[in-house]
Amino acid sequence: MPQDETRREVLPFEEVERLVDLVRRSGIGEIRVRQGDVEISVKARAETAATAGAPKGAAPQDAAAAETEELSAAERDGLHPVRSPLVGTFYRAPAPGEEPYVEVGDRVKAGEILCIVEAMKLMNEIAADVSGEVVEVLAENAGGVEYDQPLFYIRPEE
Amino acid sequence: MVGKVLVANRGEIALRVVRACRELGVRSVAVYSTADADSLHRMLADEAVCIGPPPASGSYLNVPAIISAAELTGADAIHPGYGFLAENARFAEICERVRLKFVGPSSRVIARMGDKAEARKVAREAGVPVTPGSDGACESVAEVRRVGSEVGYPLVIKASAAGGGKGMRVVRDEAEVEDAYREASREATAHFGDGSVYVEKFLEKLRHVEVQVLADSFGTRVAFPERDCSIQRRYQKLVEESPAPGLPPEAREGLTSAAISLIDALGYEGAGTVEFVFSDGDFYFIEMNTRLQVEHPVTEMVSGVDLVAEQLKVASGERLEVPDEALTPNGHAIEFRINAEDPRRNFLPQAGPVEFYNPPGGPGVRVDSHLYAGYKVPPYYDSLLAKLIVHGADREGAVRRGMRALDEFALVGLETTLPLHLAILEDEEFRRGGVNTDFLAVRELRNESGLLRLATAGAPSA
Repeated sequence: MPQDETRREVLPFEEVERLVDLVRRSGIGEIRVRQGDVEISVKARAETAATAGAPKGAAPQDAAAAETEELSAAERDGLHPVRSPLVGTFYRAPAPGEEPYVEVGDRVKAGEILCIVEAMKLMNEIAADVSGEVVEVLAENAGGVEYDQPLFYIRPEE
Repeated sequence: MVGKVLVANRGEIALRVVRACRELGVRSVAVYSTADADSLHRMLADEAVCIGPPPASGSYLNVPAIISAAELTGADAIHPGYGFLAENARFAEICERVRLKFVGPSSRVIARMGDKAEARKVAREAGVPVTPGSDGACESVAEVRRVGSEVGYPLVIKASAAGGGKGMRVVRDEAEVEDAYREASREATAHFGDGSVYVEKFLEKLRHVEVQVLADSFGTRVAFPERDCSIQRRYQKLVEESPAPGLPPEAREGLTSAAISLIDALGYEGAGTVEFVFSDGDFYFIEMNTRLQVEHPVTEMVSGVDLVAEQLKVASGERLEVPDEALTPNGHAIEFRINAEDPRRNFLPQAGPVEFYNPPGGPGVRVDSHLYAGYKVPPYYDSLLAKLIVHGADREGAVRRGMRALDEFALVGLETTLPLHLAILEDEEFRRGGVNTDFLAVRELRNESGLLRLATAGAPSA
């Protein structure tokens, strides 16, 4: 993606500053903006002491650590994460070419199937553990997911 | 060469394998439980996958999760380290089926050596001396009695399924056979799901001596200078050294050729250890561990060979290249296992944060550890925190270096076996060398103005 390459070099500093301001004033836990290859996420919470003491790791681990951070911010906004109970490949639809089980904005009931995580050729249906609205799909279709990785955010019904 | 290795383990051994991969230019994948999210093996590997919750049954022993992680990351080999799945023939077989190279021997060889009664049989057929006892598993009390009348008492009844002292009973005379047989069999069933037991003559005074072997798929087989692991507590090794102090040259040659005969008979591939007991000038085979061992660095220090790198080369189908001079020990090496156990409180396991950590350095000192200041030792896994390995021109030099390095070892936040090791090095009999496996059992730990000392039971305190 050559055009993204050039875009990445220009850091949208003013934009970031505006987002930080917005987070601070509004009291929202987090704001995420995605544009092409660039994704900016601004969180209200400070780094926890536990991760601060640890040596700096390589990129994939940092991404995972950031996820935990994001989560607590989102959770404070009342969002419920549906986590993967196993390591495997994440599929949003029952079979290739079929409609996804759920889309953002859908209302789901606890027990309703949200996705499949395939491990060793076994399809494991993952159900919602709360009723509510699907707010965000956090994993990429046909990508790998870890144990305990958040797959969806659901805003639980009152 | 294999391209990407998944390390199916944690702690210092996962780190050891990641380091070898890095030096060979092989990519590494760490797997970790949610309790190990802040662990070094996760941070230092090229990639990392969370495979399950803290209990090992859901993570480090979770075969589907580990195979899935290998598939997701495109790993082409799995290094099992030691413990967990390292000697699980079923796991090795699954790896073989899904075309993941298991770094170790074939599942068939693991299964044969995993059954201790079968291993004795294989060894005997290969001309390797075994402790006098039953030919294979003992099916009845009568059979144990028959062996007893042949080889004499005391006897020891052992579980076929494993070592580590579980399912083990010492029988002093014929009258004790019935109860001991039942108890050993019941304990073996409870621990290993297999109640079969075998019987050996019980040797009261013995040393634990073992031979590290390495073999490739072209029939090259080498045996390294022996290790002495006689300093044990409840069958767990605490101090290991190489070469074994004061071993007669003919015993040394005998051990080496016995180990080679056994791996020849097995068609062995990879790294392994053939364990013997040495008693009254004779040695007997006890078992073979078909994996890398905790104490492998002792051999690396006296041979100059990187055993993990050689394992990976053999797994890649390459030829072993071990120079002849590596098979004669260069100097003397000793390893101390620093465990999270409090020797002043009956070896109570410790967990919690490491507040300060400064391992020793300087010439001839190696520390293999996953610790760092701020790391929290989780309560779910084994207690090994660090291995301190010292190398000297001779045993005396290695002992002096060990004293110096143990003294320098700063670890705050947890009680460890560090002071016990200093007490062992101060013991006169240990310093003379060649102690038996009952070394710690016949001594008691005394607290003398804050310092630990070992005293033979009944001796007056200083």
